[in-house]
Amino acid sequence: MSLHCENIVKTYSGKNVLHDVTLDLQPGKIYGLIGRNGAGKTTLLSILSAQNPATKGSVTLDGDQVWENRKSLSKICFSRELNANAESGIAAMKAKEYLRIASTYYEDWDKTLEERLVKLFDMNPKKKLGKMNKGMLSMITIVVALCSKAPYTFLDEPVAGLDVVAREQFYKLLLEEYSSSGRTFVVSTHIIEEAADVLEEVIILHEGKILLTADTQAFVDSAVHVSGKIEEVDAAVTGLEVHHTETVGRSKGVTVFLKPGQKVDESRDVSVQPVSLQRAFVALCGEEETRQ
Amino acid sequence: MNERLTEQKSIYLQISEMIETDILREILLEEEQVPSTNELAKLYTINPATAAKGVGLLVDEGILYKRRGIGMFVSKGAREKILAKRKAAFAENHVAPLLAEARSLGISKEELLTMIGERKL
Amino acid sequence: MKRNLKFWTRYNWEFTGLMLAIAAVLSVVAVFGAEGLDLRTFATVVPYFLCIGAALCILLSNTGTHTLYMPLLMSMGETRRNVLLGFHYFRALTIAVTVALCAVIWLVVPGEVSSQGLRSIPTILCVLIIASAMGSIMGTVFSKWKWLGTIIIIVICGFAGGTVGFAGATMADGLAVAKTMELAAYLVTMPWWLAAAVPVSLALDVAFHWMLLRRQEVKL
Repeated sequence: MSLHCENIVKTYSGKNVLHDVTLDLQPGKIYGLIGRNGAGKTTLLSILSAQNPATKGSVTLDGDQVWENRKSLSKICFSRELNANAESGIAAMKAKEYLRIASTYYEDWDKTLEERLVKLFDMNPKKKLGKMNKGMLSMITIVVALCSKAPYTFLDEPVAGLDVVAREQFYKLLLEEYSSSGRTFVVSTHIIEEAADVLEEVIILHEGKILLTADTQAFVDSAVHVSGKIEEVDAAVTGLEVHHTETVGRSKGVTVFLKPGQKVDESRDVSVQPVSLQRAFVALCGEEETRQ
Repeated sequence: MNERLTEQKSIYLQISEMIETDILREILLEEEQVPSTNELAKLYTINPATAAKGVGLLVDEGILYKRRGIGMFVSKGAREKILAKRKAAFAENHVAPLLAEARSLGISKEELLTMIGERKL
Repeated sequence: MKRNLKFWTRYNWEFTGLMLAIAAVLSVVAVFGAEGLDLRTFATVVPYFLCIGAALCILLSNTGTHTLYMPLLMSMGETRRNVLLGFHYFRALTIAVTVALCAVIWLVVPGEVSSQGLRSIPTILCVLIIASAMGSIMGTVFSKWKWLGTIIIIVICGFAGGTVGFAGATMADGLAVAKTMELAAYLVTMPWWLAAAVPVSLALDVAFHWMLLRRQEVKL
């Protein structure tokens, strides 16, 4: 019982955007899909929800193909990031109309929740999408995602354009909905830090490849920052997976990813500090820059 | 229950420590119900699974117990247990770093004891 | 599919409103031109305006439907097949409503024009279906290849302008009924090629869109 994709390849004019992505989304979890801009997050979510065709590979929900399968599709909601610029036809659509169409198509649409959220976010339903700012558009995608009640719900950068208060509000709403329904959520974001504690599992997508899928806490706990004199640090981390090395004069700092059973040699004169999800992510995906 | 979370420690450990501290301070009394994992999750904006892990830790230690269908409660004698546990860990958690810092600053044992003697407990 | 039909049915009624509005504008233009026109006879001419309004609406709305609603519905979990079926259901519904309205008016207000009109219904039906299918293809062409679309739009607008002008002019001559009769007489007998063009254009439309829709990426 899961949403599963296997060996997904997506090519745009000869360039691979996704390379051989295999992923298994278990029911009843909040996943974080994190990656740099252009890592392929939106493309992956579009393919998982059969909105875009994959060049190769398959997506199945509980064993059934998702592509062109209404039964499976009705269990998936991918609330796309709305880009209502002047060129897009959707700019002329009113918020009310957009929500009405969503409520027509999602079988278990929660009208009460919709009304509550519209009030909470202080939305003007008569306003055209093209006249809304980024934050308001994000709120609309959040309303669609939460009210759809789809067992698998994807949110693409839901907090982009929201202020700190609204972001906190969103995460609380997400947790509330998650606790009461046990739906599966995949939230893509590049504002990692504040999402870290909400995400049960983290999926790191880097240059079209899945670098890692792990329990968020376990992943954060496995990463430590080791610093001190160069020789001491080198000795303390021999044999460990070292990323993101920074050297200043005689001092050196490294981020280490510990495998189960591994330890930093603390008999050496080094400082060992915990690392946040964001630092761990940067250590994993930002290597190229630091090497140069 | 209203402390803030920090990045210095795993979230679930912080959750269990916060509940412990509340029991020590008698904010939570023995045989009283503790907030559910969903309530904790919403309060701290953390995943319910993480909150459950923190609560589970206390259940394993016998500090909390589960009443089926109702929720989690503070065990009888929980406060004593926490006191004993924290006392046992006091030397390791607080004295050891104190000595380490004293050593690197060249403070002698006598000086250190004088400093402690001068202060009220 | 029930939800899909619900959406398209509602869209059809919104659309019918627009169609009626265009027919009303055409009628008003005609009324202003024709002094002392017998209201009864005038009523029997209105269905032709309604048909012209329907054809114009169908032709012009395609771009919006293909570039906005189809991807939107796909983004909300509808299958590509159902989106296309829904679209054709909507088209069929619009044409049916138009033809039904014409028939009702002609039946309620009998007369020379009416009896001729009633006999022209099969032809009108064919013309609307062909206009719908061709318009649908053009709508997509317009959004995909803008320059070609622009030319087509100019032609359509010219056609629309000409129709309005013609309507005004004929009515002004006080020859409304006679002219309409004369023009509409062509509609009574349906040429075989028109009937043959119906399935061909429908098939072209469906095949063309299915080819595109099958691999289309959702962009909002």
